[in-house]
Amino acid sequence: MDQNREKIMELATRLYDLDAEVYRCLGSSLGRVYTGRRDDCIESLAALMSGGRQTYMLRSELALVGNMARTIPDKASYVRVMAQYDQILKEIQALPDTFGKVDIVDKDRVQLNWIDLKNRFSENDHLIICIGRTQGCAGTDIGFALADALKINFYDTEIFSSVRKRLESEQDNAPDSIGSDVYPFLNPNPPQGHPTLPQLMANFNRYHGLLREDAVFFNESDLICNMAKKEDFVVMGRCADVVLANNRIPHISVFITAPFELRVQRIMETHGLDRKRASRLLRQLDRRRSSYYHFYTGRKWGDPVNYDLCLNSACYGIEKSVELIARMINQQIDPPAQA
Amino acid sequence: MKKTVCLTAGLLTTLLCCTPAAAATGVGTSGVPLWLCIPFAGLLLSIAVFPLVKPEWWDKNKGKAVIFWSLLFVVPFAFTNGIGESATVTLECLINDYLTFIVLLFGLFCVSGNITLEGDLVGSPRVNVLILALGTLLSSCIGTTGASMLMVRPLIKINSWRKRKSQTMIFFIFLISNIGGCLTPMGDPPLLMGFMRGVPFFWSLRLLPILLFNMTVLLFIYYHIDRRAYMKDIAEGRKPDISKPGTHVRICGAHNFFFLLLIVLAVILSGVLPTLPAFQDASGAARGLHIGSVTLSFSSMIEISLILLVAWLSFRTTDVTVRTKNHFTWSAIAEVAVLFAGIFITMQPALMLLKTSGGELGLTHPAQMFWATGALSSFLDNTPTYLVFLTTAGSLGFAQGMVTTVGTVPVKMLTAISCGAVFMGASTYIGNAPNFMVKSISDENGIRMPSFFRYMLWSICILLPVFLLDTLLFFM
Repeated sequence: MDQNREKIMELATRLYDLDAEVYRCLGSSLGRVYTGRRDDCIESLAALMSGGRQTYMLRSELALVGNMARTIPDKASYVRVMAQYDQILKEIQALPDTFGKVDIVDKDRVQLNWIDLKNRFSENDHLIICIGRTQGCAGTDIGFALADALKINFYDTEIFSSVRKRLESEQDNAPDSIGSDVYPFLNPNPPQGHPTLPQLMANFNRYHGLLREDAVFFNESDLICNMAKKEDFVVMGRCADVVLANNRIPHISVFITAPFELRVQRIMETHGLDRKRASRLLRQLDRRRSSYYHFYTGRKWGDPVNYDLCLNSACYGIEKSVELIARMINQQIDPPAQA
Repeated sequence: MKKTVCLTAGLLTTLLCCTPAAAATGVGTSGVPLWLCIPFAGLLLSIAVFPLVKPEWWDKNKGKAVIFWSLLFVVPFAFTNGIGESATVTLECLINDYLTFIVLLFGLFCVSGNITLEGDLVGSPRVNVLILALGTLLSSCIGTTGASMLMVRPLIKINSWRKRKSQTMIFFIFLISNIGGCLTPMGDPPLLMGFMRGVPFFWSLRLLPILLFNMTVLLFIYYHIDRRAYMKDIAEGRKPDISKPGTHVRICGAHNFFFLLLIVLAVILSGVLPTLPAFQDASGAARGLHIGSVTLSFSSMIEISLILLVAWLSFRTTDVTVRTKNHFTWSAIAEVAVLFAGIFITMQPALMLLKTSGGELGLTHPAQMFWATGALSSFLDNTPTYLVFLTTAGSLGFAQGMVTTVGTVPVKMLTAISCGAVFMGASTYIGNAPNFMVKSISDENGIRMPSFFRYMLWSICILLPVFLLDTLLFFM
């Protein structure tokens, strides 16, 4: 099985490199077949080669590379590239129909687990804990306490926004009003009225034609990935679990929630709201978080299959929840100071 | 495979039923037997099926297939109608129809290939909708082919970061390569023919509400389809490079816009010059170069010369790096040139049957005209189809409406014929020349375009309901 896997990875790498070589020979700027990150593309290709049912997609992608290769004007390059293409084609055709074994384990996810990471990956990888949470379940408090206990950095929405804002301002030397106003539901004083035409044009120019929310998401994704290469941290929300998974950066993902009634009571106490308004606020915020997560990840927010650990904070309280998560990742933490 | 066979059978039936009067008797009133349409159907099926089942074989042998199906029409036609008639029909379509068609396409292909967009605009649903809307309106100014060739590469480029982009090219074909051309005679050749037969130049602007309606509906549908694809791309971790602040867009080879305008001018001249006395002989026929019994008119020669000159100048004055960045190759134009040579030759019997039987179809209502013109324009050249139904409408003896050289045609009926001919070219890859060009260029640049039948499925699912709405709102 390992030999098969190696063979598939080797073929996928060669095909990816061939696509890059074709694009280089053409000198085109219109885009190539595999435009994603190298590792991701190779992994996806390997998955296609392993999955017998998806051979039509593999064939189709091979055809696209072939189409491009056939337009190489330089004769010598054409012959060389086509020889490689034919060789890869033959080797792929010679692969058995299915290499995968029937197992419950999602190999990609396992590779990202910290528990597995400890055994398999170098010590250079950082501990990153991504916490998703429903409003009012004390998820942010748990995240903060966990970071404190593990002595690592903590990034919540506000901190994240300000870091990103500072970076963007440094980048283009222009003050930026983006902060929590990008996510008005997180801002207690959202801006009133619609943007004017000049503002729309300015944003269109500033964000390369993208919606501001999308541009911010892409920038935040870059920021999360860059930080993940430098430090250990706990990050709240921001679809960080999926962003890191897509970039094959080891992390652990946790989702924290609590019964609706308890969350309402907590919001009533912390925000000084009556029951009706607290309930409405919770539903509204949960709905927005859910749609945000679904839009940028294609996954269902809060669905246990998307996380390594799901936790009902009402069963443990803040302190014990922190202990539980820390125990799961097998980190020694200092006992909490006695009040 | 089973689906392909069923669709194949369906397409064959549709084509053979395109000419109902002839289908009833088996022989057209022009003396063209119905079975002579088989090579046309065969060629279309080859285009549809071979790239699916034997792609590499088709890539190398499509020229031979075109020759085979063409001979399968020319030789039997020589037996039934005489060698002279067969040679005349073949020469007529190659010289007077195909030559000007392919030279125009070649010119636009060359000039637009010398214009490239540089910058960091990012292809997102919103930007794509804006570009599709802009291109649709541009189609009426520089023609569907011109707008398609001009816009296709920039659109591919800004979407290069994405994985799922075929839907963008499909809607590009719907809107820019077809529907957008309905506002002026420059937009699409059928309208130019109408202009030459007395329809005022700016009359087509009356189609603006229909265009806006179709644009709005299609762009609304497109936005939601593309948004889903965009979400999936993001969910997979794809993201554009927006690391540089601000959006900088630069057009390289911008002087080629002037050449593009010259080509548009050449097309307009080809429509205007034949009406001038200097270009007509004593009998009113077009003056020109006689090749056998066929005449290549001076106006066509001027058009061809001007376009070829412009293409040459475009190449001479543009840096080769622009073409390299554009991934400019001859494959797309070569493919279209080969396939459409066969299509033009083999569709002759169907056109002859249509010309002789068009008036016997009993079409008297705008809705009928819209669908009949459109259904035939989906597979046949829309220019002769338009002319047949315009002539048919003109011969119905209406007293009120638009006065043309072929008779008085009610405005609603003329609108229906124009829309049918222009809009429904989007139904298939062969319905309009730019469709196939866009497909070929997309195929060459890493976009997985749907097969012939799958594209038809898209048009059936999306265009058909829109055209039904058009019928209810504008042609009933």
